[in-house]
This record gives sequence, C-alpha cells and structure tokens, in this order.
Amino acid sequence: MSREVAIIGVGYTGFRALTPDVSYKELMYEAAVKAYDDAGVDPRSDIESFVTVAEDFTEGTSIFDEYVPDQLGAVLKPVHTIAGDGLHGFIAAYMQILTGALDIVAVEAHSKASNILTPQHIMAYAMDPVFNRPLGANPHFIAGLEMNLFLSETGTTREQCARVVAKNRRHALYNPCAAFGATIEPEDVLASDTVAWPLARLDISPHADGAIVVVLASKQRAEELCDLPVWVTGAGWCNDSFSLENRDWSSAVYAAKAGEMAYRMAGIRSPWQELDFAEVDDTFSYKELQHMEALRLCRPGEAGVLVEEGVTELGGDFPINTSGGSLGMGNLLDASGLARLLEVILQLRGEAGQRQIPDVTTGMAFGWRGLPTTSGAAVILSNGYEEV
Amino acid sequence: MSLLERAERNIDAVAWQGEIPIQNRYTVGLAGERFLRELKESGRLLGSRCPECDYVYVPPTLYCERCFEKLDDWIEVGPEGTVVSFTIVTQALDGTPLADPDILALIRLDWADSLLVHRLGKVSLDELEIGLWVKPVLKPKNRREGSILDIQYFAPAYHEE
Repeated sequence: MSREVAIIGVGYTGFRALTPDVSYKELMYEAAVKAYDDAGVDPRSDIESFVTVAEDFTEGTSIFDEYVPDQLGAVLKPVHTIAGDGLHGFIAAYMQILTGALDIVAVEAHSKASNILTPQHIMAYAMDPVFNRPLGANPHFIAGLEMNLFLSETGTTREQCARVVAKNRRHALYNPCAAFGATIEPEDVLASDTVAWPLARLDISPHADGAIVVVLASKQRAEELCDLPVWVTGAGWCNDSFSLENRDWSSAVYAAKAGEMAYRMAGIRSPWQELDFAEVDDTFSYKELQHMEALRLCRPGEAGVLVEEGVTELGGDFPINTSGGSLGMGNLLDASGLARLLEVILQLRGEAGQRQIPDVTTGMAFGWRGLPTTSGAAVILSNGYEEV
Repeated sequence: MSLLERAERNIDAVAWQGEIPIQNRYTVGLAGERFLRELKESGRLLGSRCPECDYVYVPPTLYCERCFEKLDDWIEVGPEGTVVSFTIVTQALDGTPLADPDILALIRLDWADSLLVHRLGKVSLDELEIGLWVKPVLKPKNRREGSILDIQYFAPAYHEE
C-alpha cells in the first residue's frame, strides 16, 4: 500500500459574479491565508511545494505560472503550474506526497472570469485552427451538438435537464458562498433564450470569480497537525481524443475512465452504494446527467429520471452538487473542480451548515475542464468514520 | 491587503485594460494538405484508413490514434453522409444575436468513421433531424482555396439541384 495522504486545510474566497475591488493575486492571497490558518501551517517554513492550475489566455498573461509564487507564500520554493482542471492540480500535489519526498503540499486554482472581455473568442481559439475554427461558429455549438445527441440516445428530456438547473440553483441558496442561488422552475430554464438548441441560456453555468487553496499532508504530518483529516482514497484522470472528429460523442468516456481509475484505487465496486454523495461537473445542465451515467452513479439513461424523482436533491438518497454546482456557485474556470472538492471536504468534516448531509463518510468530486475539452478528473475522499 | 482593506466605493476600484495582436501560421501537415489539395482540385473528400482498427479518419491523419500505427491507405469518402447530431446556434461568436440561425452538424460521411463538423444549409427546420442524409455543396472550382470552407455547407441529399 502506498503512503496515505490527507487534506488538512482549505481556504476559499468569492464566489461572486464580479470582484472589482481585488486583483486575482489578492483573491489567491486571501484563499491562501485562510487555508494555511485552517491547516495550522506557515507557508514559509512548513509547506514544501506548491501546485497551481491556470491557463495563460484566461489570465491575459503569457507564462502565467511565473506570476503565482508571491501571493501564495511560495517564493524560493518548488512551484509549478499545470494546465487542466483544478482536480488535475490536486492530483499532482497528491502524487508529490506519494513519492515520499515531500510531506506538505498546497494546491491553488482561481477564476477572475469577470476580467475576461472576450471569453468566447478564447474558447474558439482552443479549437482546431485548420478544420474547425474557420467555421467561425459560437463555440457553444459543441455543447449543443453533444446535448442533442445525449437527449436523443438516452431518451433524456430538456425538462429533466432543466430540473438539474432548478435543483442546483436551489442548493446554492443554502450555500452562503454561492453566487447564483435562486428559486426557479424548470419552465424558466426552458423559456430562457436559446443559445445552441437544445441548449438554452439557463442551461449554461454563469461565470464567477473566486479562489480556492487546499493543503495536503502525509499521514504522519496530518495526524500531528489536524484533528479532522480528510483522506484521499482514490484519484483518476483521463483525456479522450481532443479532435471533434474522433472523440466519443455518445458518452463521456473520459469521465467513465477517470472514475474507474479512482474507484479501483479506492476499492469501490458499486459507486452508487459505496459513495454517500457526489459533486459532479455541471458546467452545462446535461453534463451533470451525462457525467452521472459515465461515473456509474446510475444506469445509462436513468439520470434524468433520478433528478425528476428528487433522488439527487438535498435530502434525497444520493445528493449531487449540494454546493449548488457550477450552475449555482458559478463556473470558476480552472477552479471549478476544486469547488467540487471543497464541498466534499466541507461535507465530510460536518461543516456544510444548512446543507449538511447527515452521517456521511465517503464522497467523490468529479471535474471537467470545460469546452472544448474531453478532459476529466475524479477524486474520492473519506473522513475515516465508520459507516452508520 | 485584501483581508483587511477593501475598496469601499465602486469608483475607487481601478482597472487597466490591455490587448495584444495575435497572429499565427498553422502548418496543415502532410495528411491535412493531401485532404485540402484534393478538395480544391477535384472536389473529392479524402480519408485515411487504419487496417488494424478498420477505422477511417476524415480529415485524414498520418497515424491511428487508436493503435498508434502509421497510416498509408488513402480512400475517397462521401460525398454524401448522415447527420449524427445538429444544433441551431442563435448567437454569433461574440455572443451577439444572429439574424439567421447557424446550423452546425456532426456528419458521418459514407465510408468514414470520423464525424466531420460543418454547417448545414438549404435545410428547413421541419426536415432537420438526426439521420438526415446530406451532401456537400462546394464552391466553384475557380474560387476554391484549399480550405475546409471550400465546402460551403451540407444540404439535404434528396433535394433537386
């Protein structure tokens, strides 16, 4: 058995549609100060290495990784920035501890989406420049194509997708740091403007600003420093073909494979029965359902029915996105996966306030890197309590 | 310091705006060039086939991403194909509303396994469905440039010219 690794601290700030008063560095600084205080560590003397997740184009700066050490207390320390979802960064930090070379590592991701003036141009610039980009289409067309195929192949309805939006925005009402809590009906989603039919405006998670920092430690250091360590029991990640021509459009294979890798590591055979809850990427309403099916949280074609029956609501048998998800908290760009992880941590520590699920021991976070990618990562956490 | 002090008035929150010109060249590559030249000169659509995986790539690639073998079996595909999915886009790239919706589709060309992404045209919303049989409408030869846009759009294949 490899080394055991735990989360010993978490800090976050935001999440709001606009943060005109603070720079991205100050957002990161605030989240870092809170995380180090929560973990009871000094970044200058205790934290041995730092991982951040960011993308030059969304930051508006070339070689953005050079801009991260100072506001994290990471100057003159090992630091590297990776491209991907926040969970990819978390797994990179986790593996640094698994090597045995390091005992305390911090991971950071943030969003200052409100400062991006041409987000769709950046998304379009990610597409194949020779065969796809010349079409000049709004990049949401990729989600429109995928959603139409998903509905057609699984028999899921637009109404069921709209219920995901209503559920997650309602969950966000119980999350004091969520930006987009609201009481809305599925009909409101169906009646909102079409963007790329069948995808409508309210099916799309709106962007928010914020930052999240998580501190990880080896078992020995975690037990010395922390009364309530949250253990990492599984991790997995996977990329499908990036090309629009050759990726699998029928199901989120990247999610299925990332999930299987994490389940295998955690010794989970039946995720539906062995996990208590999950936070699953919902960048678009249908993505929550598609990811649920890929992650074997239900049978194929069943996700829409489960959301209709309230199974995935707070108080249901298998709550999904009690944080509000990206639909309720806001799409945090590269930090979205860490926002999913943050909720799993808070739930497993019993710190989720009004939205606390009783008696939870094991939960999963799954993040997707967003359009136009086919890149996902899954992390399974446990508080080590016995199942009640 | 963000923890102790905040700008308390909106007008105190200062932002600086910047932009840079970005221009790139994208080498199309050996396989892509073969596809675009063939499209420009003969109007034919070319794919590359992996005999091991029995999978035809369109646009062609020099290697199979499934088994990682080098590919050297070039075959003509289409020109007709089937709509695997479609979407009706009502916003331009910059988010502004479009006067006429932009219909994008995944098209499985006959003999191909890849799904070509392109625009549908000359199609009414009534007849738009998954499974629709379509054919490419090319620019006249003298206006073709060796670009994916040499295909203007795909139209229902059963329409009379």
